[in-house]
Amino acid sequence: MIAIMIVSLGALLHVAVTYYKHEPWDEYLTLMGNVELGSCRVVWLSLANYTNSPVPDNTILSTNLQKWQNNLSKIYPGHGIALNYTTAEGSRNAYGTTLSYSQGLSRTWQVPSSTSAVNASFSLNVNSIGLTGYKFTSVAFLNLKIISASTSTNEITVTVKRENLDPVSGLKKENFKVEGQSITKVAQNYDSQYVIVYIIQCSGTFSLPVTVKVWDTRGILVVARYP
Amino acid sequence: MTMKNRNKGQMRVIETLLASFIVVLALAFASIFATTPASQQYEATELEKIGYNVLHDLDDQGLLPRFVYNAEWSNLRSALRVTLPSDVYFNLTVYNLNSVRLDDGSVLYGEPLTLATSKHIASITYGLAGYATQIYPPRAVYEPRIVVLQLTRG
Repeated sequence: MIAIMIVSLGALLHVAVTYYKHEPWDEYLTLMGNVELGSCRVVWLSLANYTNSPVPDNTILSTNLQKWQNNLSKIYPGHGIALNYTTAEGSRNAYGTTLSYSQGLSRTWQVPSSTSAVNASFSLNVNSIGLTGYKFTSVAFLNLKIISASTSTNEITVTVKRENLDPVSGLKKENFKVEGQSITKVAQNYDSQYVIVYIIQCSGTFSLPVTVKVWDTRGILVVARYP
Repeated sequence: MTMKNRNKGQMRVIETLLASFIVVLALAFASIFATTPASQQYEATELEKIGYNVLHDLDDQGLLPRFVYNAEWSNLRSALRVTLPSDVYFNLTVYNLNSVRLDDGSVLYGEPLTLATSKHIASITYGLAGYATQIYPPRAVYEPRIVVLQLTRG
């Protein structure tokens, strides 16, 4: 009986003592989470910049990551944060599609199923806590697929997917553009095959091929052409 | 006689068992309601954790960059008031990388005197990389901001 009590009290005391030992780690996990989320934002921003530029600059990701690398020491002085990165190069598979990356950026446009993507890997060191080699990868992916375009009803049916081929919901009229046409309505419908489809109603008659643009909530652009 | 003594002995064992369980349960119950030590070190760490989590959650939802880059200071104040415990006073300031203050000084809650004189103030520094507008015409800029959130108990 005494043994049970000793063990129970021992367990309680152990929790009380080790609580303070583990406490600083919680703080640093949040710091690492902040650096990770910030790095992902830099990657998304770079893809948004790359896809929206009339003349695409494929050095934008490396330039922004270099700046972020340097600015981290200003944002978190005294922590000894060092962030290293590598950008994807050449052909890589992204959710079943083979994409060609140049300095981490990729865009395959003007086809019925078009894609914009970015891929960068990071390694984080925080000297103040002796942490080295915390690795994470940041990927952004946006695919626009024109399923059908009817010249009789002036309707274009599309589906928009992001990372892990998750359907993008909540897009509005302002997120789409049809070349040479003004959009009167965009309706989001459920579809048994694509889960979410958008039906774009154009004001006038259009002729094929038709070009559709979409911007997602991160500002990433994809341009698809049908057929 | 022997039977009686044996029964008595069994009862003692059951009593001891019950008593031990009551003691263990009481200790476990008391530990739930145990007040945290009021040391400066501990209080700051607890508030720092709350502050980091709140800013990280707002950032993860895309609200923090929107509020900061669009100068929606009243929305940011409301979001912090909703997410932070009601007894936590806060003062949030936003700087660019040249240490130029960008907010209008309205993102605060609580008695100014308490914030100025409190011995236990937690200061959280949080970095934002940039912001992208969602709809046409698109705009994606790399413009880091340093968000400094000060917290204290009211």
